[in-house]
Amino acid sequence: MRTITLTLIFILTGLTAFAQEAESGSSFWRDPLGDPLFPFYLVTAFVFLTAFLVVIVAVYMLKVLNVFIRKAAEERAEKQGIQYVPQPSLWTKFWNSINAFKPAQEEKDILLDHNYDGIKELDNHLPPWWKWLLYGSIIWAGIYLVMYHVTDTLPLSGDEYQAEVELAQAQKAKFLASNPPAAIDESTLEYSADEAIIAKGRTVYVTNCASCHMPEGQGSIGPNLTDDYWLHGGSIKEIFAVIKNGVQEKGMIPWGPVLSPEQIRDVSYYIKSIKGTNPPNPKAPQGELYTEAAPVEADTVVQADTVKSSI
Amino acid sequence: MELEKFSYDNKIVRAFIIATVIFGLVGMLVGLTAAIQLFYPVFNFDLQYTTFGRIRPLHTNAIIFAFVGNAMFAGVYYSMQRLLKTRMFSDALSWINFWGWQLIIVAAAITLPLGLTTSKEYAELEWPIDIAIAVIWVVFGINMIGTILKRRERHMYVAIWFYIATFVTVAVLHIVNSFEMPVNLFKSYSWYAGVQDALVQWWYGHNAVAFFLTTPYLGLMYYFLPKAANRPVYSYRLSIVHFWSLIFLYIWAGPHHLLYSTLPDWAQSLGTVFSIMLIAPSWGGMLNGLFTLRGAWDRVREEPVLKFMVVAVTAYGMATLEGPLLSLKNVNAIAHFTDWIVAHVHVGGLGWNGFLIFGILYWMVPRMWGTPLYSKNLANVHFWIGTLGIIFYALPMYISGVTQSLMWKEFNAEGFLVYKNFLETTVQILPMHVLRAIGGGLYLTGTIIMTYNLIKTAYAGSFIADEPAEAAPLAKDVKVSGGWHHVLESKPIMFTVLSLIAILIGGIIEMVPTFLIKSNVPTIASVKPYTPLELHGRDIYIREGCVSCHSQLVRPFRSEVERYDPLGGEYSKSGEYIYDHPFLWGSKRTGPDLHRLGGKYSDSWHYNHMLAPDAVSTGSIMPAYPWLFEQSIDLSQTSLKIKALRTIGVPYEEGYEAIANEELKIQARRISENLQLEGIEVAPETEIVAMIAYLQRLGKDIKASKTASNQ
Repeated sequence: MRTITLTLIFILTGLTAFAQEAESGSSFWRDPLGDPLFPFYLVTAFVFLTAFLVVIVAVYMLKVLNVFIRKAAEERAEKQGIQYVPQPSLWTKFWNSINAFKPAQEEKDILLDHNYDGIKELDNHLPPWWKWLLYGSIIWAGIYLVMYHVTDTLPLSGDEYQAEVELAQAQKAKFLASNPPAAIDESTLEYSADEAIIAKGRTVYVTNCASCHMPEGQGSIGPNLTDDYWLHGGSIKEIFAVIKNGVQEKGMIPWGPVLSPEQIRDVSYYIKSIKGTNPPNPKAPQGELYTEAAPVEADTVVQADTVKSSI
Repeated sequence: MELEKFSYDNKIVRAFIIATVIFGLVGMLVGLTAAIQLFYPVFNFDLQYTTFGRIRPLHTNAIIFAFVGNAMFAGVYYSMQRLLKTRMFSDALSWINFWGWQLIIVAAAITLPLGLTTSKEYAELEWPIDIAIAVIWVVFGINMIGTILKRRERHMYVAIWFYIATFVTVAVLHIVNSFEMPVNLFKSYSWYAGVQDALVQWWYGHNAVAFFLTTPYLGLMYYFLPKAANRPVYSYRLSIVHFWSLIFLYIWAGPHHLLYSTLPDWAQSLGTVFSIMLIAPSWGGMLNGLFTLRGAWDRVREEPVLKFMVVAVTAYGMATLEGPLLSLKNVNAIAHFTDWIVAHVHVGGLGWNGFLIFGILYWMVPRMWGTPLYSKNLANVHFWIGTLGIIFYALPMYISGVTQSLMWKEFNAEGFLVYKNFLETTVQILPMHVLRAIGGGLYLTGTIIMTYNLIKTAYAGSFIADEPAEAAPLAKDVKVSGGWHHVLESKPIMFTVLSLIAILIGGIIEMVPTFLIKSNVPTIASVKPYTPLELHGRDIYIREGCVSCHSQLVRPFRSEVERYDPLGGEYSKSGEYIYDHPFLWGSKRTGPDLHRLGGKYSDSWHYNHMLAPDAVSTGSIMPAYPWLFEQSIDLSQTSLKIKALRTIGVPYEEGYEAIANEELKIQARRISENLQLEGIEVAPETEIVAMIAYLQRLGKDIKASKTASNQ
């Protein structure tokens, strides 16, 4: 019993943990107590646990009750001087009938004269429900094949994929219509040291970029992101463009299809923010020295030129 | 009629029992090691011989062929003599069977850690060992059929039917799946390529489960369970119906391992429907087992042998319901490639095979040594600790399988994958891997307790080497009457032939069209054979068992195309694999799919990642492969490889083998120069260079076709 209880708790906690993950990213585990839904989870867990305990208690009560009833029946039988024959439970009756069991005393009628090293065989009927399971599965198989391959009612893998993609595109279009995305792209992006955005950018960086540029941006497979030298330009616009479009011949992945424009902006801000942090074991500088252009609007033209020359 | 005196050969049974126990312990220990590596990768001691990719096949082979295989021979040799009232046909053949089988196991235990593998699951052993297996299996078959022919019991009991089906089918499966083209004594290429190789392999793989782990064990159940319970078998009719339906239907179900793959849709559908039709025949075995215990349940409570058997039969029922459900496309879409499948096979392996073996051993050993079991209490402890082990193994794996699968598939409202980095989903399930190892540890502990108990029992008794028996010989020219099946039971050759026909039909109908009808594998013009360097790299990929953790099959799901080919937007097509001898689709994604890997990362990324995966991807559980940076590829093999592949249909031009090494060197130098730009010095003939060449080739051809059609 205890193992069953334990395992059930395992299942419940495992799956609810996942559901929570799904709702709130991975933030729940970082600060479970501070999560706005924490009281709700707590109450849910409590309700589940209580319900579970109640079920266990109820089952035990029922068992005890049964013992009393049987005892009483036995006493009554003894008083009347007849042999006590237990009433079969509803379950036993049901079980016997769906399996078409022969009563034990009739077993000798169906005992075959087989004897293999002492093993005898009965000639019981096939359990009726089993027989229908066999027939049913054969019929199901026929219907399945007809629906997929004769009438083409159900889609095969390729069509299923097409439908899935179309549905996703429609949903995305609908979502974007009601939540117009902030227009973020490399032509208009400006850097600001916004703490909140940089923090979000850090999360994106750690999961996607640290593998090549190292956790602190010191570079390894990819270049150092904290120094003043840039292969493809160091302005926020250029950084954004490189992340979005990638530099395939150098192994830089185009992240445009994978990260949302907002995420690319966040991580670009973060990269900008770690400039000059001098992490340990930096990779040697690569590319050209980039100095931040004076913050004047008139400079955009010049900047565009540097983009070209440095790529 | 006068009774003849003879004796049963217990010595051969004892030999197989000892082998069972030893290899059981070894196989489980290797399994536990592999399980620990899946959350603590340095548990391979940084040795190439003990990395996960090499010991995973060692574990599966040790458990299936050494532990379960030896136990099968022990049980078959014990029960067959008694059911047929005769000694085995030939003691010499029995011992050839025994020593031959142990030699094969030793050969496997040496070659697999060395990386000598065909990479086809449960058929990893290289061609000379394959031949040895075929020979020894036939020896076993001759011995069995010979014994049946000289029987003193007119009719064959249901256990014998299952043994016959086992012999015939395993022979067919093993021979057909092992067609391979040798390169040298230790290396061969599968005769089949790509999707056809996959079909043959999973026809084999699935039916290895059916006819090596299931039918012989059903036979053993039909002997040992009624003996232990001292009850008549519940239904003779059920035996007949479920035996024939089981062996006929099972053979068709292999393609359910290839749902949503590039296997033609009609073959996938056959895999699904035949799996569903298998529920009832499989359950027929379970019901006949459990219903035989009707009226003996009070004894189940006291007798550990029966307890083990009840759990075994129940686990069989659960696994054979779960299997068909996993064959439904919508369930398979979630479960395939995840830990769910690992849980499923272990419910079957630990529950059905393991527990039935334990029950049988606890039953046979006291009888063969003429003494009661040393300790019933210890057997009970074994039972509970083993059961707990199964629960601790299976439940975490179910949770981790579903969790990871849902994470792979989750999109946010903007249409991007929520968990873009595969590693996030791996890290999430590591606690479950820890629990699973604890479960495996418990199970192994139980087995150690059993070993002690059995040894103590044997020492307490005295071994009965030749157990005396007597029976009347069969009268000649007796007309057998009764039902048609009853008559058939007295005609072993006819019975064997009918079983053979029953198991051939499904395989033929699925394979012949896939091989002969061109439209089943649409070709892609831009797909070219591997270059010599890539070929060497691919062989290293095979040697290291990368396929144990990485699939090469992007299924037609939006979540997979977005994850693995966000730029190209192509799921895998059968035409991409036509030069893949063998196919490397894999069956489990502990790491990400690699079929679209080429060009995704730089050469230096691969270099660093193979050297220290954890340094590149923090938290990765992939082991490091430092030896690839020290060892060099063997250029003398290049021309042999090219010639072998040309023989089996890869279109390398005549004479190409002469210039292959030149081309290889040019490509290797290009990669090493490329790495030099990043400050990495590496000799061009180093294995890592070949590996990088292969990894960078994956999925490139289909991209080339796109570029071509766009222009």
